[in-house]
Amino acid sequence: MRSLPLADPGTPPVTGAGAYLWWIARRQWGILTVAVLLGMVAMGCQALLPLLTGRAVDGGLEDGFGPRLWGSAALLLVLGAVSALAGAVGHRYDVTNWMRAAFTSSQLVGRAAARSGHAITAELPTGEVVSAVANDALRVGELYATAARFLGSVAAYGVAAVLVLRISVPLGLVVVLGLPAVAVALALLVRPLQRRQAAQREASGRLTTLGADTVAGLRVLRGIGGEGVFVGRYRRQSQAVRARGVHVATTQSWLDALQVLLPGTFVVVLLWLGAHQAVAGALTPGELVSVYGFAAFLGWPVQSATETLGAATRAHVGAGKVVAVLRIAPATGTGRGAPLPPPGAELVDEASGLVLRPGRVVALVAADPDASAAVATRLGRFDDAAEAATPVRLGGVPLRELDLAALRERVVVAEAAPHLFSGALAHELDPRGTADRSGLLAALAAADAQDVLDSTPDGLDGALPERGRSLSGGQRQRVALARALLTAPEVLVLVEPTSAVDAHTEARIAARLADVRRGRTTLVVTASPLVLDHVDEVAFLVDGRVAAVAPHARLLEDPAVDAGTRAAYRRVVDRRLSEAAGDAPAPPDDRGVLTASAPAAGGRP
Amino acid sequence: MKLPVAEAPQVRAYALELGRRHARPLGVVAALHVLAAVAGLAGPWLLGRLVDAVTAGTTTGEVNRLVALGAVAVLAQTALIRTAQRRSMVFGEGVFAELREEFVETLTRLPLSVVERAGTGDLVARTTNDVNKLQHAVRFGVPRVIVAVTTITLTVLACVLVAPLASLALFLGVPALVATVRWYLRRATPAYLRESAAYAVLDGTITETVEGARTVDALGLGARREARMDEDLREAFTAERRTLFLRSVLFPSVDLTFVLAPAAVLLWGGWLASQGQVTIGAVTTVVLYAYQMIGPVWELIFWLDEIQVATVSLARIVGVRLVEGDRTAGTAVPTDEHVVAAGVRYAYREGHDVLHGIDLDLRVGERLAVVGPSGAGKSTLGRMLAGIHPPTGGRVTVGGVPLVELPLEDLRGHVALVTQEHHVFVGSVADNLRLAREHAGDAELEDALRAVDALGWVRALPDGLATEVGSGGAVLTPAQAQQVALARLVLLDPHTLVLDEATSLLDPRAARHLERSLSAVLAGRTVVAIAHRLHTAHDADRVAVVDAGRISEIGPHEDLVAAGGEYAALWRSWQHT
Repeated sequence: MRSLPLADPGTPPVTGAGAYLWWIARRQWGILTVAVLLGMVAMGCQALLPLLTGRAVDGGLEDGFGPRLWGSAALLLVLGAVSALAGAVGHRYDVTNWMRAAFTSSQLVGRAAARSGHAITAELPTGEVVSAVANDALRVGELYATAARFLGSVAAYGVAAVLVLRISVPLGLVVVLGLPAVAVALALLVRPLQRRQAAQREASGRLTTLGADTVAGLRVLRGIGGEGVFVGRYRRQSQAVRARGVHVATTQSWLDALQVLLPGTFVVVLLWLGAHQAVAGALTPGELVSVYGFAAFLGWPVQSATETLGAATRAHVGAGKVVAVLRIAPATGTGRGAPLPPPGAELVDEASGLVLRPGRVVALVAADPDASAAVATRLGRFDDAAEAATPVRLGGVPLRELDLAALRERVVVAEAAPHLFSGALAHELDPRGTADRSGLLAALAAADAQDVLDSTPDGLDGALPERGRSLSGGQRQRVALARALLTAPEVLVLVEPTSAVDAHTEARIAARLADVRRGRTTLVVTASPLVLDHVDEVAFLVDGRVAAVAPHARLLEDPAVDAGTRAAYRRVVDRRLSEAAGDAPAPPDDRGVLTASAPAAGGRP
Repeated sequence: MKLPVAEAPQVRAYALELGRRHARPLGVVAALHVLAAVAGLAGPWLLGRLVDAVTAGTTTGEVNRLVALGAVAVLAQTALIRTAQRRSMVFGEGVFAELREEFVETLTRLPLSVVERAGTGDLVARTTNDVNKLQHAVRFGVPRVIVAVTTITLTVLACVLVAPLASLALFLGVPALVATVRWYLRRATPAYLRESAAYAVLDGTITETVEGARTVDALGLGARREARMDEDLREAFTAERRTLFLRSVLFPSVDLTFVLAPAAVLLWGGWLASQGQVTIGAVTTVVLYAYQMIGPVWELIFWLDEIQVATVSLARIVGVRLVEGDRTAGTAVPTDEHVVAAGVRYAYREGHDVLHGIDLDLRVGERLAVVGPSGAGKSTLGRMLAGIHPPTGGRVTVGGVPLVELPLEDLRGHVALVTQEHHVFVGSVADNLRLAREHAGDAELEDALRAVDALGWVRALPDGLATEVGSGGAVLTPAQAQQVALARLVLLDPHTLVLDEATSLLDPRAARHLERSLSAVLAGRTVVAIAHRLHTAHDADRVAVVDAGRISEIGPHEDLVAAGGEYAALWRSWQHT
């Protein structure tokens, strides 16, 4: 068995679900063919068993314990053994086919997600992409797993049909035509069942969400004592699911009953016809047994056909979902391959007039935090189309013309609310995989995040859960900062790197950050005076344009700076200090958290 | 520390207890299935009789009579199956609903310290994956196993009744079958658990890649994410290969047993018939019964497998019941609203005290700001004051009664805690609010929302108070979510409030707006505000500086600044600009 996943999943057509399914079939043509052949052998042998059983009965009736009985029984054994072995080997091929198709689809979706940047979340809900891997890829695989069984069943149906028609044409016709009719009738009955099942699944999904919600909100719940009310809500939804389940049970039990009634009636009719022919001498008792056996056996191919039809429908839908993900064009192209300027080139944002000169540690301040964050986003080249009108140049070359991977090595923009991934802390801290342990510890120290080592079992080698959930908000931010520092790019842009930490910590980070990046081009988007104090200079953005560039102290006090700009700057920086105290435009009675004087409706007297 | 998993005897005891509680319906269901299985045995028996009748020479009347008997059996089986299936599914639904409700009730009463030490991941997995896995087994598996077992037992019994001697050949392959199935079942559970764990990890990886797409792009993590996914698929492949190996042994072994049985019955029965011990018709019946048993035996093996896997889930669910509570409610009633902490110590891990004996006397109606560096124990102190955890040493009392001796329902009428975590619960806005006061009318809810300045936007939502929010519903901004939390406090109306960085994760503008809402909530209450913004401290009646698990300074802002200690230094660094 070839080891999976394959190193290269290939490049499928993304024109449609059918084309995609055909592409996969062609890629695993060999193992599909083997699986189909084995399926035919296994099912074909099975098809002969009722005939042999009948022969053995007739042999026993006519010759007693003699060669005819022995021969039939021995052949029964041999064919059964061949069928069992072909079935077992065939199952291995079925599973291999399933895995090849499913894993390839998963890999393709994974690659699309890893390469598309924010385009993927912009175009599809996260749930759909996840479901493409968690469900759709598996459904695509199912088609190839059932294909062999289906084609084997078709062959077996043909063999059995010929045999039963040779025994008796009228009985043969009843079997060959009657069974599919029964199957179609049952398939039609499945519809209402599926509707009710879907209704229950939906209610049940909501219940699962409520359950997960309990855990997620447990701390909040405990803080306000809402446990009892919450359990009451869960109970109600649980009973709703139960009621839907009773609905399903009603339909399901009818279907189960019909699954007895229809084939049962069919067999009774067959027995009646056969027995009359036997009484008339047109049929031997053994042949009657064979016909009964065929009627029982042929239920399998018919069932397999309906299953495959279902699997094919699901695979088609699944392939459509997979293709929808694969169609997403990455937000940034790979570039036109323009040569990267030599190290030490200036990074220039034309729209704001911001110039990042090599080796300077600069802060970017704006009255509107969104405006300064927008500049940082542009510097990161996250969306070629959206940024076409606001070019950013590195050494004079527009970013979108540069090779993307090479550019990401040189310029790193760490935005606000960065995402932490699960994995070993040491591995997750170091995106480039270049730092040694002392380097990791130094970066953690610079971000004042050594406490993370204590709260993660096994420290650097310990595992970080998804989104770094085991850490507090402030810890997460500091870990992300350490990670950004460890990328050690020529140009580093940090957006609000200290917004969630307390003043003590912020002061420490500000000093260490400036030290670590001293002499390397760095831009920090922030309005925190604790950080501004430590940078080489501050670029002050007014109405989206850089209005002044000077050290923090000069922007506050130096008369050489335009008085209006100084006043505006002081307002921004001061507000940051006193924001929650309500000194900024707000009603006079609104003086902050602990000076509440407004009478509260519903509050205590 | 991990959450406990129940041992096999505890799981068995729980399952038995569940069975005992529902003994009657279980008995009825089993009886119905027995009857249905009996009716299902008619076909081969009839065919055997027909073979004998035709061989011996018979009339069409006799044939008609036999076939009519078959028709009656089919009708009876149909009716019995319908009733039995319905009842057993309804039964399964009921039992399972009871089980999950009990589980969630246990869940909400878990000590928070246990949940936090174990991490919420495990608990979420138990609430979702384990409950879902168990659901399949309880709702479908248990009824199917009952059906399969009764069918197999009765079919064997029927064989023995029809042709006792000939039936002996049926059992030729049974020892090998039992041995293989046992071999398989012993190995199957860990193998399938590994498989589903591998897929869960894969799903987690793709979720992370998508949710963090922007970060993946920004830090050039694309190749890394692809490698991680390939690694997950490799593990899934290894796990699949293991289960495939197990099936590669099981499938042909079971198949061969069923090849062996009819052939052996034919030969042995043929010889017996030649000796006049049995009729060929009876042998035919037994052979056909042997074929008819293939389906139920496979079904039984399949469900034994699934039930084994579900037992692991059940062990994890029952395990949550084994967590011991961290408090026992007493009957003492607080005499006033005075909250006092005396000698409070707390250790998340034994021997590592985070708080080293804190004494704090909250004056009724005062505003106390708690400041200090990260990791100093501010939040832990807040939790002690709100009675979230029982202290490891010392005590926190309200009106003379320790907080942790108050029933949970009463506790929140005294002290409530609001943190920076703004979780919006799944449900309507009204549902979210009524967590604090279950029977509050819409007018009360609106008053509370108005008090926190949130009525405007709530009314503007598509369905107002009835708008669905939380996961899957309308998305609230962090500030709106926090306003909902504050409105809950208005409804809850405790005399003492602990605010732990309640606004620190919000962007500056939202925070400013919110603190207006907050001031409405705080009026007339004793407030402990844990904050990292010093202006908060400036406005408080008293400031407590917490450092390394101790209160290093406490007093009004002016006094502390004048004292020239740590707080004064900090304050100066904030003043500087």
